Amino acid sequence: MVRAEITTVPMQLPVMADQDQQEDLRLGDIPMRQEVELVSIDLPVELAEPLLERGVLPGCRICPVRSSPGGDPIVSIDGSLLALRRETAACLCVKLLSSLQDAD
Amino acid sequence: MAEQDLVASGGPATLDTPSVTPLVALVGPPNSGKTTLFNQLTGLRQKVANYPGVTVEKHVGQVSLDGGRTLSLVDLPGVHGFSARTLDERVTRDVLEGKVAGMRSPDALILIVDVTRLENQLMLVEPVLEMGLPTLLVLNMADELEARGGAVNDEALAERLGVDIVRTSARTGAGLDGVRTYLEGVADGGTAGVHVERELSNVPASNALPVVDAFAARRNLVRGIVQEADFVPPGPSRLTERLDSLFLHRFAGPLIFLAVVLLVFQSIFTWAVPLMDGIDWMVATSGDWIGTTLPDTWYRSLLVDGVWAGVGSVIIFLPQILILFLFLGILEDSGYMARAAVIADRAMYRVGLQGRAFLPLLSGYACAVPAILAARTIDDERDRLATIFVTPFMTCSARLPVYALLIAAFIPNQPVLGPFMNQRAAVLLGLYGLGILAAVFTAFLLKRTLLKAQPTSFLMELPPYRIPSPRTLMLRLLDRSKIFLRRAGRIIFAVAIVLWTLTQFPRTEAGPPDIEQSALGTIGHVIEPVIEPLGFDWRVGIGIVTSLAAREVIVGTLGTIYGVETADEESVALQEILRRDLEPGAAIGLLVFFAFALQCMSTVAVMRRETAGWKWPLIQFTYMLLLGYVGAFIAFRIF
Repeated sequence: MVRAEITTVPMQLPVMADQDQQEDLRLGDIPMRQEVELVSIDLPVELAEPLLERGVLPGCRICPVRSSPGGDPIVSIDGSLLALRRETAACLCVKLLSSLQDAD
Repeated sequence: MAEQDLVASGGPATLDTPSVTPLVALVGPPNSGKTTLFNQLTGLRQKVANYPGVTVEKHVGQVSLDGGRTLSLVDLPGVHGFSARTLDERVTRDVLEGKVAGMRSPDALILIVDVTRLENQLMLVEPVLEMGLPTLLVLNMADELEARGGAVNDEALAERLGVDIVRTSARTGAGLDGVRTYLEGVADGGTAGVHVERELSNVPASNALPVVDAFAARRNLVRGIVQEADFVPPGPSRLTERLDSLFLHRFAGPLIFLAVVLLVFQSIFTWAVPLMDGIDWMVATSGDWIGTTLPDTWYRSLLVDGVWAGVGSVIIFLPQILILFLFLGILEDSGYMARAAVIADRAMYRVGLQGRAFLPLLSGYACAVPAILAARTIDDERDRLATIFVTPFMTCSARLPVYALLIAAFIPNQPVLGPFMNQRAAVLLGLYGLGILAAVFTAFLLKRTLLKAQPTSFLMELPPYRIPSPRTLMLRLLDRSKIFLRRAGRIIFAVAIVLWTLTQFPRTEAGPPDIEQSALGTIGHVIEPVIEPLGFDWRVGIGIVTSLAAREVIVGTLGTIYGVETADEESVALQEILRRDLEPGAAIGLLVFFAFALQCMSTVAVMRRETAGWKWPLIQFTYMLLLGYVGAFIAFRIF
């Protein structure tokens, strides 16, 4: 049972002050040790579900901590280490944590 | 298909009389220490079976409580949720809902989580508590949380969730008393001190919501719970960081990976040898003893030549299997296996598989049967099917006696690459390579035809490195050997009797017929036209037919046919006769045939169970047989 209408995960936050950050930034573009917030998951639901179960949800904070020998990212989320393929990381839309957000 | 099996029969049974042993289910995410806790509570008083219709292992154990009471504990597969995407998740949900045939629904639950990753692990708390059963929340690895500067307020957490909480360190056994106290409460028939009514949130039942919203709601709920319980996440594990920068290092990582693979190989092929020789000797000696003790009647040869030799041919692989599983167990429990899967993923992905296929494929070098079972951790169904389809191409240890016999008979012992390698070793290596090539080619082919799919994802949690518990390792080894012996023993036992019977009939005046006149010889002659293009005669034909049950059987069969006493792969007499009867090209062809063809009843049987039907084992058997036939034909023409 595929729910096509939620192919792209919603829950984007309203426009932020800094427009530049809203550009199409993907997890794969983030340098090591830079924590970011997940905005949406650009994957069909059956591929997104395993991510969701592991807490990779819009609004969560992800930090790339290492790269595998094959060049795939290993990220830290909720104190757990999760390895994913770079193809998957390229489908995770993220935004940088602004100072406004850090305050919260 | 499997779901029907699980759901079809028997509605939820209830606990009618107090005399029935209470049933408690142990639930938790993978790597939370679930199995270690299970082993500590039940010890050797556990049984392993499969759930009806599927081969997800069912571990049920007895816990002895004060006053001679007992309680059944079932260890469920580690899951992240109950979305029923994987077999493990489906089974877990069905057990909790009491939908498994022949199994009562549990009276109470133990939810165990790794408290160092509380936020992540509590994603399971809502669906578990929704079951409405008395639940104990076990915060495992509490010692590690404190050591790394984390903290959590147990009382607040217990209050918020409406459950009892116990802190444990499953490795050292601390906190086990608390779990026992809880179990005693359950055994007392009661929900005394256990809250069942709870109001977690006002979020509607999660399956009414679109998937993402449901998860987001669950996530927010967990975040709130964790905050209320003053959870302070632990600092990063220095040990894990340090080891990861070595094991996942760009250059050192793959090298260590290769070294580990080689070490596993080395252990299977050299360290196991003395043990295997020992078992071989014991089987032969005891067979001789039985032979001389029993009167010379018809059943003596059935017992000694049929049953004893047949069963012995299986037991001999036990040391290899045990050593392999000891290594794999250490690699898995220490946390390295997850890293190895990540390293292997890139290469596997290219041929249409994924990193989790690495463990089953490596196991396949000992025996395809446990390897196919190990593929259950692959959460993508197409990836799992492709993996178990190609697993039998890995050169399993049952091929080795056949390779050894034919190589020794036909390949001269001459150096090829200076002093480092001789021709025999080169041919053996070539046969291993042939298997890998066939596996890669087949996986590639499958992913473009039968198992065509969108690119899948690969996600792997990397648990913190931990020292494996020897107790858990030992219990698992015991498990594995029981399963292996039971499964393999039954088939070999049956085949040995059938084979022996076929050599005994039709009877002549002098007793059993010559092998050529026997029923078995007739079968050989019937299939001779089919295998003639490969350069094989009826004798080899019989060998191939009998080895359909298990590959190594051909060595003994050829011995019987040629009347060579005590035929094994080192038998010089058998080698000489083979050289006389088989052209070198046909011998190479026979080697290639054995590299490709699926001559193993146990594998076919386990494939049928793992794929819930005959379709896949039939496709696999036919495909591998054809590949073997064509390969042998080409080899015969070339050499």
